[in-house]
Amino acid sequence: MRKSTTFGRVSFKTIAYIILIFLTIVSLLPFIIMLVNSTRSTFEIQQRSLSLLPSTFLMSNFEVLTGKTFDPIVGFINSSIISVSATALTIYFSALTAFGLIAYNWKMRQAFFSVIMAIMMIPAQVTSIGFYQFMYRIGMTNNLLALILPAIAAPAAVFFMRQFMLPTLPMDILDSARIDGAGEFYTFNRIVIPIMKPAMATQGIFSFVASWNNLFLPLILLTSNSKYTMPIMVSLLRGDIYKTEYGAVYLGLSLTVLPLFIVYFSLSKYIIAGVALGGVKG
Amino acid sequence: MRSHKGISYAKYGYIFSIPFLVAFLIFSLYPTIYTAIIGFTDLKGLGKTDFKFLEDPLQNFKLIINNPSFKISLKNTVHIWIMNFIPQIGLALLLTAWFTSRGSKLAGQGFFKVVFYMPNIITAATIAILFNSLFQYPMSPANDLIQRLGIVDEPFNFLVKKNVARYIVAFIQFWQWYGYTMLILISGVLGISPEIYEAAECDGANSVQMFFLVTIPNLKTILLYTLITSMIGGLNMFDIPRLFMMGGPDNATLTTNVFIYNQAFSGSYMYNRASAASMIMFAIIAFFSMIVFFIMRDKDEVAARKSRKQMLKEYKKAMKEAKS
Amino acid sequence: MKKALSLLLALVLVIGLAACGGGTDTTTTTAAPADNGETTTAAPEETTTAPSGDKEKINLYAFTDEVPGMIQRYLDFNPEVAEKYELNATIIATTDGAYQPALDQALAGGGADAPDIYCAEAAFILKYSQGDAYQFAMPYEDLGIDVAAKLEEADIAQYTVDIGTNPDGKLVGLGYQATGGAFIYRRSLAEQVWGTDDPAEISKKVGPGWDTFFAAAEEMAAEGISMVSGDGDVWHAVENSSEKGWVVDGKLNLDPNREEFLDIAKTLKDKGFMNETTDWQDPWFADMKGEGPKPVFGFFGPAWLINYVMAGNSGGEAPGEGTYGDWAVAEPPVGFFWGGTWLLANKDTAKAEVVADIIEWVTLDSSEEGLQYMWANGTLNGEGGTKDSVASGTVMAKSNGELDFLGGQNMFDVFIPANAFANGKNLTQYDETINSNWRDQVRAYVAGEKSREDAIATFKQNVADNLDVIVE
Repeated sequence: MRKSTTFGRVSFKTIAYIILIFLTIVSLLPFIIMLVNSTRSTFEIQQRSLSLLPSTFLMSNFEVLTGKTFDPIVGFINSSIISVSATALTIYFSALTAFGLIAYNWKMRQAFFSVIMAIMMIPAQVTSIGFYQFMYRIGMTNNLLALILPAIAAPAAVFFMRQFMLPTLPMDILDSARIDGAGEFYTFNRIVIPIMKPAMATQGIFSFVASWNNLFLPLILLTSNSKYTMPIMVSLLRGDIYKTEYGAVYLGLSLTVLPLFIVYFSLSKYIIAGVALGGVKG
Repeated sequence: MRSHKGISYAKYGYIFSIPFLVAFLIFSLYPTIYTAIIGFTDLKGLGKTDFKFLEDPLQNFKLIINNPSFKISLKNTVHIWIMNFIPQIGLALLLTAWFTSRGSKLAGQGFFKVVFYMPNIITAATIAILFNSLFQYPMSPANDLIQRLGIVDEPFNFLVKKNVARYIVAFIQFWQWYGYTMLILISGVLGISPEIYEAAECDGANSVQMFFLVTIPNLKTILLYTLITSMIGGLNMFDIPRLFMMGGPDNATLTTNVFIYNQAFSGSYMYNRASAASMIMFAIIAFFSMIVFFIMRDKDEVAARKSRKQMLKEYKKAMKEAKS
Repeated sequence: MKKALSLLLALVLVIGLAACGGGTDTTTTTAAPADNGETTTAAPEETTTAPSGDKEKINLYAFTDEVPGMIQRYLDFNPEVAEKYELNATIIATTDGAYQPALDQALAGGGADAPDIYCAEAAFILKYSQGDAYQFAMPYEDLGIDVAAKLEEADIAQYTVDIGTNPDGKLVGLGYQATGGAFIYRRSLAEQVWGTDDPAEISKKVGPGWDTFFAAAEEMAAEGISMVSGDGDVWHAVENSSEKGWVVDGKLNLDPNREEFLDIAKTLKDKGFMNETTDWQDPWFADMKGEGPKPVFGFFGPAWLINYVMAGNSGGEAPGEGTYGDWAVAEPPVGFFWGGTWLLANKDTAKAEVVADIIEWVTLDSSEEGLQYMWANGTLNGEGGTKDSVASGTVMAKSNGELDFLGGQNMFDVFIPANAFANGKNLTQYDETINSNWRDQVRAYVAGEKSREDAIATFKQNVADNLDVIVE
């Protein structure tokens, strides 16, 4: 009996590891191809776009990338400004909103939560026509704020934070803080925020990735080349069908993904540890 | 005195929600309403900003509902979403079970968790190009593989087969999102009180039983969240279907959002019809979300009411303690 | 509490300010056209007195950095102009359909940031020269260019003129390239099958007309050679052989010549005349290197295809390596053109004089100091650049189009008549969408996925569903 369970356990582990390793390969392969392709010439890539053998064109691809009329460093700075600010706004204000939803018993609370859930259903693509026209009318095209400020209202992040806060928020600490005469805002910043760290880190990753990779809206909103983001610059390399510089495109994509890696891996301890979300719906 | 204090705290609920509300009103609600209004007008053509309402205000909506391509795109979208969601949630649940199992701990869990989310980091454009090259005819890695394995002798033209193209798009979606879903589900499991598991262990439940009898029922809210967000995302699928094969072959991967995009930007600039189609999609999504909410609602409401009462009780207790 | 409120206040202020700024923007926009007459005349005086540090900006909208690069060179060559003006280029890729919406908004919005010069690609030039957006383009003659005399002097390819002429019969756009197409074939395979690789002989073998072409393909197939790589290769030739465009008087028009593409593509597949590749994908490029499942005899394309695509994909950089040097150009069975960039001027530009000079230099100057001479000979940015076929026949006649890649053949010998064959009268602003729909259905039919009737029916339905075009 016991033997068969150990045997079962061993075979379970074997199968599990085979699946896990397979998934690992499938998940990492595109990155490897991307990195390898950034060392290959455009024509090598056209002949065979999927290869695991690096070539020697890294420098010439880099020259193509930097030899254009736009500056990748500017793109990098713009992307950083947008993504860092948008992420900061998302996690801070989502935590604040979630806190407001949980810590206080106000009349419109239930209605407001329903509204947030409903907003999640409004697809961004759908309203992009209206959003663009609106931004154009108020003169916010070519303004990074047009891509940053909307991050304040991130319904999915609010939902996530709320679910996290439900089981973890110590109401008694809040009460004792009140007794000590601490303001509500102070309490939130000094007591609640530190507790929220794991959830904020996880949402931070999600929103940073989304914001950094966002192409469609920046592409139509930012038309001045001093405002371009990294993804816009990479898409410019693909702009001309006659002579797409694939080598430089892949190098650009690889460079674009590097900051994501840095952010992701520096926050990945929260992914490894996991974030406990409460299951109670309210 | 007590009631006064209660009110003074309640207002913070409003105050803390104001930034969200303001940003939402400006950046979300206004464009949404604007889009909705355009749906009733004659706004089409380039660079036009003036429009008037149609005599038959529902004309655009009728045109869209009766548009055969829209029907095809709706079918495709639902089809592709289901083909992606079922395996996605299945695999995510399996991995969640493995990574949260209290019995057999798998080594290297942290590594796997980090790696599985990574397909979500890479941009859609890159993925679309890579997958397109993967299945080319007559020479491509996929064709090399099936010929080497002896499945076929002749190269196979994957990308003219409608179903194959749909499977590929569904697979890409699945592959991009299973890691994300897994992370959310693991978060949900970590939130389940360990006492419940301990109780189940005492009753002699094995790990499979525990997963189905303890984990799944307690994961309901998070599953609901996953279902809703994935449904919203799935019904709005755009990047991959458009970049992979422009909605082809033969409209097989034409999703509703690609359809909407085509209405507005593929030559005729029919912003009014695009807006009407957008609103129809919004209604469809809202309708399905309501259904899902409704199904999962009843029991939760009870629990919620209970917890609210409990909180009130604790609050009163705290007040009492504070007074004393 | 106070903090929260002040934060909110700040937020409201920021948004309010942005909104106000927008308000003033729109007012200047509406006022702009009225002011323009004055500013145009006043501008030159003002700029001469202005200090050199205060340069006026020439706003340019383009989708690659090719035209910005040219205008930058123009400023290098003309320091007296560069003292007064500087280039302000906005480059937006055509990928993801972003270029046109942005350009449209900029044109409609007007004001100081509106483009003075803007570029349009063959796929959408019709919209800006004849279609929905033609009213924004200023006729070249209104810029002060002597259009008729210049056109004749430079012998500009007629199809580029036709495309750039607005519904009032005035020229509003011209290109610098001419993209008339040729049949680019492998010398060694011609030698193997017909015993000669002389372009004049091969021109007679592969054309004129599709029947002659298929007879040649038959001979090639007998030797195990594919005539072309994929059906996309013949498409551009088929498209251009049509008398009328896709849309005539608001109705869909399926020209018999374009409908025949179904049968041409089917024949190519059934008789093994092609390798069934899709253009712009790996196997298509591999065929240029001669590494497909069967060797491919030739490709249809203009000069840019040779320079930017085929040369690099030939697997070599000098004659003897890969297929490099084993190619030659012959006359195609049917005349066609493929691609190209047109330059247009904004009717509201306040810098008409300098805009006129630039446009004339790029599109109509047939002297050796003109852009086209340098472009044709590959000397714009120094010796040894890429040679390209240009719009001016005068320039090409005095330029050297010999390429090592073509075994030393002077490609201009073929491309000058090819530019004359091309037809610029059968385009519409819907072409990009309708073409991709049509080719998609043809592919389904050829692959045996659906019948000929179904393919045509689905095609018509797709057009009716997605465009504001009447389908009968």
